[in-house]
Amino acid sequence: MNVASRLPDTSRTVGPLTSAKPPFLGFGLGLRHQHYDEILSGSPPIDWFEIISENYMVPGGQPLQTLEKIRARYPVVMHGVSLSIASTAPPNFEYLQGLKDLAHRVEPKWVSDHLCWTGVHGKNLHDLLPIPYTQEALDHVVSRVQLVQDFLGRAIVLENVSTYVRFNNSEMTEWEFLTELSRRSGCWLLFDVNNVYVSAFNHGYDPLTFLNGIPADRVVQFHMAGHSHMGTHIIDTHDHPVCEDVWELYAAALRRFGRVSTMIERDDNIPPLDELIVEVNRTREMAGQVLGQAAQ
Amino acid sequence: MSDLARQQADFQRGILADDDSVLVEIPDSPREKRETLFGVYRYAYGSRLVEALRNDHELLHAYLGDEMFDEMGHAYVKARPSEHPNLRWFSQGLPEFLRANAPYSEYPVVADLAALEKALNDAFDGTDGTVVTLADVAAFAPEIWKDLTFVAHPTAARLDLTTNAAAIWRALKADETPPDATLPDEPVRILVWRQDTTPMFRELAAEEAMMWDEAARGVPFGVLCSMLATYDDPDNAAARGAGYLHGWVTGGCLSGVSA
Repeated sequence: MNVASRLPDTSRTVGPLTSAKPPFLGFGLGLRHQHYDEILSGSPPIDWFEIISENYMVPGGQPLQTLEKIRARYPVVMHGVSLSIASTAPPNFEYLQGLKDLAHRVEPKWVSDHLCWTGVHGKNLHDLLPIPYTQEALDHVVSRVQLVQDFLGRAIVLENVSTYVRFNNSEMTEWEFLTELSRRSGCWLLFDVNNVYVSAFNHGYDPLTFLNGIPADRVVQFHMAGHSHMGTHIIDTHDHPVCEDVWELYAAALRRFGRVSTMIERDDNIPPLDELIVEVNRTREMAGQVLGQAAQ
Repeated sequence: MSDLARQQADFQRGILADDDSVLVEIPDSPREKRETLFGVYRYAYGSRLVEALRNDHELLHAYLGDEMFDEMGHAYVKARPSEHPNLRWFSQGLPEFLRANAPYSEYPVVADLAALEKALNDAFDGTDGTVVTLADVAAFAPEIWKDLTFVAHPTAARLDLTTNAAAIWRALKADETPPDATLPDEPVRILVWRQDTTPMFRELAAEEAMMWDEAARGVPFGVLCSMLATYDDPDNAAARGAGYLHGWVTGGCLSGVSA
């Protein structure tokens, strides 16, 4: 592999990669294999689907065949879990090429992942691990985002993750970090409403402070999900329906960010499709209530 | 090494090796001690990877039961940390791990069952390929059949099992009590492939397995029949060869035929 040919053009001095803001897609759902048949045999009232990129980064067979059928009917967005954008390990160009190949095949409306790292020294912990919010980390992540965007030929979207620990050496807040990251790198933001709620509880701050600290014009997607409350902390398990507190925070997010593509994200304890459609409908209804005609 | 790189190395060591040195960099939260909070990552690491093994090895899980499977899974996680960004490939080394490490190596049926499931998983999302039909084969004049060579479907794989793991797999799949594990005198020769979107496997007789292996190496049909003649009645070797070929074609196991 000729890595050098894939390095970003450092002679470019125009700053962040500029690209049009991704379109508003409406109210969607995370695509899970348990629902393939129901989706393809009916026409569930879901505006768009988000796929887990890695589930389709395979040579062939049923996953890709099914995805072809679904993308023929619905807009699709790619959401990865292994970009490891904040890792200090060298980027995995084989992974990036696989991601680029999948994007070429799927033609997603956008490609997203998380502001986190998943491993160093050749290991992958398959978790969305936290970073210290330092200037050093910011410089590092900005340069990695620029590299990835140049490699993929598109601006990416990054999501705030749920965190359980903070670091003593953090020099700024998470929202300040995300704001600077987006401003300097040109990446868009996926505002996970549940993750803000989880992290705010775990670290003892007001989720509205986070929400109000994020620039409204950089957010292109909302995630809504459930979690597990352990009393002293919350774990982001995605195995429950969205709780009322997170719905309240969603309403606040709508008021601040306006019309933003929204989706229900369930990763475990997957219920029948109808149950998730009820939640998708609620995102749509709440947007209508908060934004009126502007939600359409 | 940068501060960030050192911090990530410490954090990872804290998860993989239970090293607590990273804790000095983490404050308690308003409601919980740092040890508990960091413990969320430690617990999630093992449980997520064992869950991935459960997903990939549903029948091995059924065979071993929750407790034994999870013990085996955590041993594998400890011995073989994931090095691939896609969780799909984490379980690839499991059959070999079970073959090489006690106590699992003392029960070869466990590694065989894992190997069969791995082969089926690999066929499930393996590379797509064209499928040879009977009409494709019939298009060749009989006088050039001896020169026909074949290309296996990209998902086709052969494995030889030392135990009756295939019979155990079938029983478990049917929710029936599996037979006791046995060690047959000869290996159980298996062909795995994908038909449309469904992974399939079947057991092959010794001579069909030989013919498949040689055909996959590009040996032409005429020579394959001569080889079959050394296994059984030479007078009907060509008919047996044609029969096996018919089975491969109707099963969708071949992607190419040419003279």
